[in-house]
Parts: sequence; C-alpha cells; structure tokens
Amino acid sequence: MELYQSLVAVNPVTLIAQICNLFIQLFLFKKFFLDKVKAILDQRRLAADQEITDAQAAKAEAMEIKATYEKNMQEAKAQANEILDRAQKTATVRGEEIIRQANDEAAHIKQKAAADIAQEKKKALNDAKNEISGVAMAIAEKVVERQLDSSDHDKLINQFIEQLGD
Amino acid sequence: MEISISGARILATFENVPLFGTVQITQTLAVSLLVMVIITGLSIWLGSGLKVSGISRKQAVAEMAYNALVNFVRGNMGSEFDHYIPLIGTIFITSIISNLISLLGIWSPTADLMTELAWALVVFVLITYHKIKSSGIGGYLKGFLDPVFVLAPINVMAECFTPISMACRHFGNILSGTVISTLIYGAMTVATSALFGALGSSLTVAIIVTVVGAAALLLGKKMGKKAWFILGIIVAVLGVLAVITNLGAEFPWLTVGVPAVFSLYFDWFGGCIQAFIFCTLTTLFIKQAAGD
Repeated sequence: MELYQSLVAVNPVTLIAQICNLFIQLFLFKKFFLDKVKAILDQRRLAADQEITDAQAAKAEAMEIKATYEKNMQEAKAQANEILDRAQKTATVRGEEIIRQANDEAAHIKQKAAADIAQEKKKALNDAKNEISGVAMAIAEKVVERQLDSSDHDKLINQFIEQLGD
Repeated sequence: MEISISGARILATFENVPLFGTVQITQTLAVSLLVMVIITGLSIWLGSGLKVSGISRKQAVAEMAYNALVNFVRGNMGSEFDHYIPLIGTIFITSIISNLISLLGIWSPTADLMTELAWALVVFVLITYHKIKSSGIGGYLKGFLDPVFVLAPINVMAECFTPISMACRHFGNILSGTVISTLIYGAMTVATSALFGALGSSLTVAIIVTVVGAAALLLGKKMGKKAWFILGIIVAVLGVLAVITNLGAEFPWLTVGVPAVFSLYFDWFGGCIQAFIFCTLTTLFIKQAAGD
C-alpha cells in the first residue's frame, strides 16, 4: 500500500535533512563549479593585467630609447656645427694670413725690384758717366792737343758732364 | 471520476527513533538527493577542463552562468556581499532543477513545504545575523519596540513571518501548478471519454467519420483550400482514434499534448520565476538587514 503525506505536512526530519542538503549542495556547487570558474576568470584577468603592464613597460623603454636617441642626435648636430664653425674660422684665418703673406711678399718683391732698378739706373749712369768722361777726355786731348793739368782737367770734365746731364 | 491531490509519498517509516519519535522518509528526500546528484554532475561537467584562452562552447556557457550569477548578486546587494554568491547560486539552481524535475513526471521536492522552509530558515538566520551585526543586540531588540512598545508583539510576528511568507510563496506557486496540472489532466480524461463515448458508440459511425475526414482532406488539398485541409486532418484523426477505441484500446487521447501547453506556463515559467523571486528576496532582505 502506498502511503502519502498530506498536501501541507510538517515533517521535522525532512526540514532538517533539507537544511543539511542545502549546505552539502552549497559546498559541492562551490567546490566544483564556482571556484573553478572563478579561478579561470581571475587567471585570465591576471594575464590581461600582465599584458598591459608589459606593454606599458615596453612603451616606457621605447620612449627612453627615443629620448636618448634624440639627445644623441642633438649632441651630434651641435658637435657638427661646432666643427663646421671651427673649420670656417680656421679657414678664414688661414686665408687672411695667406693673403697677408702674399701681399707682404708682393710688396717685398716690388720694393726689391724698385731698389734693383734704382741701383741699375745708378750703375748705368755711373758707367755712362765714366764712359763719357773718357770719351770727352780723348776728344778734348785730340782737340786741345795739349796736356791739361789735372785740376783743370777734372773741372772741365765735370762741367761737361753737368751740361750733359741737363 | 475522482481526483485526489496529496503530498509526498512516504517511502519508509521508522518507529521509536530517539529524539524524533516516528520518522517518515518521503519522496521529497529521495528526489532531493537525485537533484543534488544532477546539480553536482552538472557542476563537475561544466567546471572541468577550463582553459584561460581558446575556450570551448561548454566553458562559454559556464562562464556566462557564473557572470550572470555574480552580476545578479552584485546588482542587488553590491560587491561587499560577494561571499553570498555561492549560497544564492545554490538556492537558485536547486530551486530550478527541483521545479523542472516535475516535467519528467518525478515528484518535485519544492512541492513539499519543508524544502522551501529549510531554505527560508537559513535565510532568516542570515537576516537576523546581519540585523544584530549592524545595530548590535540591543539595537536589534529595541527595533521590536518601534514605533511604540505596544506594537512589539506585531513586530515579533512580522519578523517570524518573513521566512514563512518566503517559503509559502514559493511552495504555493509550485503547488498551484501541480494542482492545476492535475485538474487539467483529469478534465482531459473526462473530455476524451465524453468525445469518444459519443463517436465510438458503433464502429460504423467511426469509420464514416474517418472517411468523411479523409475526403475533406483530399478535397482541400486538391482545391488548395487550407481550411478544408486542416478540418479534414482533425476529423480524420478523430475518426481513426474512434476506430481504435472501438476496437478495444481505450486511452485518454486528449491528455497527450494539451496539458503540455499549460505546463509551459505553470512548470517552466512558474518554476523559473519562483526560483528567481526567492533569490531576489533573499538578496534584498539580507541587504536591507545589513544596510540600516
């Protein structure tokens, strides 16, 4: 024979058993489902966080490299400018010096040439003077046919040369 | 025809057990164990083989369920009550499975008031714990004298009725579903016997009905009239069933299919919504108790 409870029955054994069942079920459900899924989700979140942190670190590193590179570039440019400046200055100084030297040399050569010319002229004049005086003496001897005393002689010659030089 | 609706079947009775006296082991306990086995099996299946990336469809479902549960609890209580997630989840899944197991023709543990009362008592203990925790034991006791000390008995009663009303709400809805399902089932049995009692009084009538139905069906199909076609199907099926009944195989034909439509509401919808309501009330009551 099948026995049934009434529709709304108070059964303390069922009540206590159901409370226990609830906690047993709570434990099993938590252990086998909630904890597992939670662990996986946490792990995924950690992985994502890690990736973001890595990316940030990589970015910071890249920025640092970029800054270093820019600094180096700037330094190199400044150095290049400095070298260029120096070279320019040196070149200017050297150029000026060369020009000055050339000028000096030219002036020197010119001066020397002028001195030479003057000396040559003087020499030529002297030669001519001597020659002329000899010639004049010879001519005069021929003309006068007499021996002039030497003072008269020189006087005459000089007079002649002076007239000639004019 | 007589319909009787009773509670859980008593599987075994033990007399003179110490402390309890007569102990009756009912279907409720047996099916509860079955429900626990189902839930634990589901948990193990869904909770195994989880991976961080490249997840399977099963894991997607598991994560979705987990997130839905967490969002539900956090949405109702805020994130400082995260330690109640397992309890709420357990009550919810146990309630759902217990309610829906009646679809398999198995006695539903939630159709026994003791099941819901057990859950409600646990919730009541938590509510009281949070009330005492938030306002101290003195404050908790003083709360009963609010607003006037004369109302103290009513306040005590109101406090006690919290778990009772929670349990009875869930129980009543499941019970009403069971009662209405039983009534519809009985009504369909009566309707079948009435219908086929008239049709199947003689074999000749049944055959004529079958032939008329088949003719309407063919005619409707040939002329392209849908109404004739459908009517033909109904009449022909009725005729065939009447013939079978006449030949001696009596069966309440209308109980096939028709109660399923009603069970869609009372068992599926009602079962899910009651689990949801019970859990919502649990979260709100605990939150309220801790908040003030």
